[in-house]
Amino acid sequence: MPEKKAFDEAFDKKGTARQHYRPLVSILESFTQGEIERRERLQKLSLMDQGITFTVYGQKEGTERIFPFDFVPRVIPSREWERLQAGLVQRVTALNLFILDVYQGQKCLKDRIIPPEIVLSRKEYKRELLNVIPPRQIFTHVVGTDIIRNGAGEYLVLEDNCRCPSGVSYVLENRNTLNRVFPEFFKYYPVRPIKDYPTLLLDTLLHAAPRFSEKPVVVILTPGMANSAYFEHSFLAREMGVVLVEGRDLIVEDNYVFMRTTQGKQKVDVIYRRVDDDFIDPLTFRRDSLLGVPGLMNVYREGNVGLANAPGAGVADDKSVYAFMPELIRYYLGEDELVIKTTGDSGGYGMLMGPFAAKKEIETYLAQVKKNPGNYIAQPLVELSAHPTYSDGKFEGRRIDLRPFILYGASVRVLPGGLTRVALRPGSYVVNSSQGGGSKDTWVLADKNA
Amino acid sequence: MLSRVADSLYWIGRYLERAENITRLLLVTEDFSTETQGLAEDLAQTAWKDMLEIFPSAQLTREITPFAPLSVPYLSTFFTDQANAYSINFSIRKARENARSVREALTLEVFLALNEVFRSVEAYERKGMPDLPAFRDALGAIHKGIFTVVGAIEHTSTHDEGWRFLKLGESLERSYRSALVLRTRLPALLAAEARGDAPLYYTQWRMLLRGLSSLENYRRVYGARLEPNLVIGFLLFDADSPRSLRYGAAAVRDYLAAISGPAELTAPARIIGRLHADLRYDDEAQMRRGDFAGLLDRVVGELAKTHDAIATQYFVT
Repeated sequence: MPEKKAFDEAFDKKGTARQHYRPLVSILESFTQGEIERRERLQKLSLMDQGITFTVYGQKEGTERIFPFDFVPRVIPSREWERLQAGLVQRVTALNLFILDVYQGQKCLKDRIIPPEIVLSRKEYKRELLNVIPPRQIFTHVVGTDIIRNGAGEYLVLEDNCRCPSGVSYVLENRNTLNRVFPEFFKYYPVRPIKDYPTLLLDTLLHAAPRFSEKPVVVILTPGMANSAYFEHSFLAREMGVVLVEGRDLIVEDNYVFMRTTQGKQKVDVIYRRVDDDFIDPLTFRRDSLLGVPGLMNVYREGNVGLANAPGAGVADDKSVYAFMPELIRYYLGEDELVIKTTGDSGGYGMLMGPFAAKKEIETYLAQVKKNPGNYIAQPLVELSAHPTYSDGKFEGRRIDLRPFILYGASVRVLPGGLTRVALRPGSYVVNSSQGGGSKDTWVLADKNA
Repeated sequence: MLSRVADSLYWIGRYLERAENITRLLLVTEDFSTETQGLAEDLAQTAWKDMLEIFPSAQLTREITPFAPLSVPYLSTFFTDQANAYSINFSIRKARENARSVREALTLEVFLALNEVFRSVEAYERKGMPDLPAFRDALGAIHKGIFTVVGAIEHTSTHDEGWRFLKLGESLERSYRSALVLRTRLPALLAAEARGDAPLYYTQWRMLLRGLSSLENYRRVYGARLEPNLVIGFLLFDADSPRSLRYGAAAVRDYLAAISGPAELTAPARIIGRLHADLRYDDEAQMRRGDFAGLLDRVVGELAKTHDAIATQYFVT
């Protein structure tokens, strides 16, 4: 099997189930093939009925597909999670300090912790935002960090998403689906609940309000129904009980943002924007953007609206910045990088994960390499761990990754779970939903002794 | 609430109501046509052709052939054909599209129910209906599905502003369509009085009532005897029947008042208020005058104006 080299999450080298997978394996063994198939059908039906779909680009407008769900859950023992969590909190704290520094003072550049040209030449670095500091100095309200496990089973960070990471709605819906379709699974596991994510997110967003008004008005800004993550935008609005707006619903007047309502204009205090920096304000960034709100950046500069994540935060999720994370963590926090390590630990100018890259990305990349070969290094591909997955009537190992979600409000909190994406094709490393990927419920176990 | 969201909710109300109306009219017309085609084929034909006037910009997308039952092209056109902007398929699709764009404003139950109807219409479109009983069966299932959505809206949504916009759309569409049904069928029916074929004559009145889901309601008030004047009075001026024009105008007026608050008199409220007053207080004179075509033209026109005024007042800000 092509997944042979991969670290197997559920079975050790001898083929014995790891301790935290044993109850699950015996439950699954107690099902007949017919029963499993019946449950799988139920589950597919329930996804389609609920319209838990994503939109596929490049096909007929508004083509919807369900995000395939594999019912074999990924189990993370509590001690493993404690370590992951500590690493993530450290990482996000450092990332935020780094962004703050980049837009105010640039000490890390002056101290040569990271070569200035790496930061300043990125398109994610927004010179217009120099000295524009968001409320409570928080840039990265919501971060999704992609984590993999190498052949030895060590957790490695693949990339940080500091702009608008998506996928959390699937985390919540996957749990719902599994609860309904395989209730038996939960009997033997102390699975930590994740349902309060919307509450935590709302707290985080309220914390991003420009000043402590009595009841800040929070909205989610979506590019609209054609966006691939539209389901999630709408889902989060519903779960948080806030208004979902499109750019055309917002208007800037007297340096405040308002939404157009049936009762006239209503002031907005915090925008959880799921629209990229480049599209958020045609007057400041891309002029051809129809998704944004003209004048929004001025309101933000004046401190009259909170934006989550803050504009400019994308400078931290650049792959070349990522290579300097160990140094940055030491610099800002005086600590060594905790358990989760950065994959390539020498500085590289941009990185291309062959199997993860789109064809166009590869072409562009190769052109750059040819132009300036001295700047590039090649590395063997990092393995992804494998996890038992139900496919074509049998259980087989498939490669997976993990995206935990980290919220930065009054404190930094990590949702105990995350999006486990799985490459459904045998031998594949591609976990993206648009290219044959699916997802699993991710269980973080409570410490029973605690 | 957001103007865009209010707009979408209003249209969800309109499209759902429209889909229900089309479904009912197809079922009733199919009954009538089966019942009468042997006796008076021209009446059956007219009943089907009426569909094109009740939905004025609808177009027959299937050819009528002498070999297939007369109903089939109409049933296909108005049931599954996406090319006809007045098919059930088109309306349900639009309702769902609007629902998808304001999903956070709907309860899960509403969305699930609507999604389910949408998926079954899709399935019928894919599979096709081999014969009339299959059409009938499918239409019956869709009718039930639509009522499930309407029930979910009624019983799981907060009756807040959003719900009121949805109901506003529903009542406006209902009154508008009922007025068009009456405008299309009433004059011919009144002219037919002289023909003298009594059973056939009453079958037509029965169809008119059933087409506006009012047959049983009428009987409860006036008994089994179909008296044209009583039927007209019932369909136009009854205070309690949910499909009478007077009831419909009152519903539109009340939802508008609830949205704006009682103190404010908005432009759409003025238009519908005047129309309601006519239907409420001028019923006897109207019955005496007997110019129903004129009255119905006015109702259709005023409702169209009300719609425009609602859009200007709430959706274009």
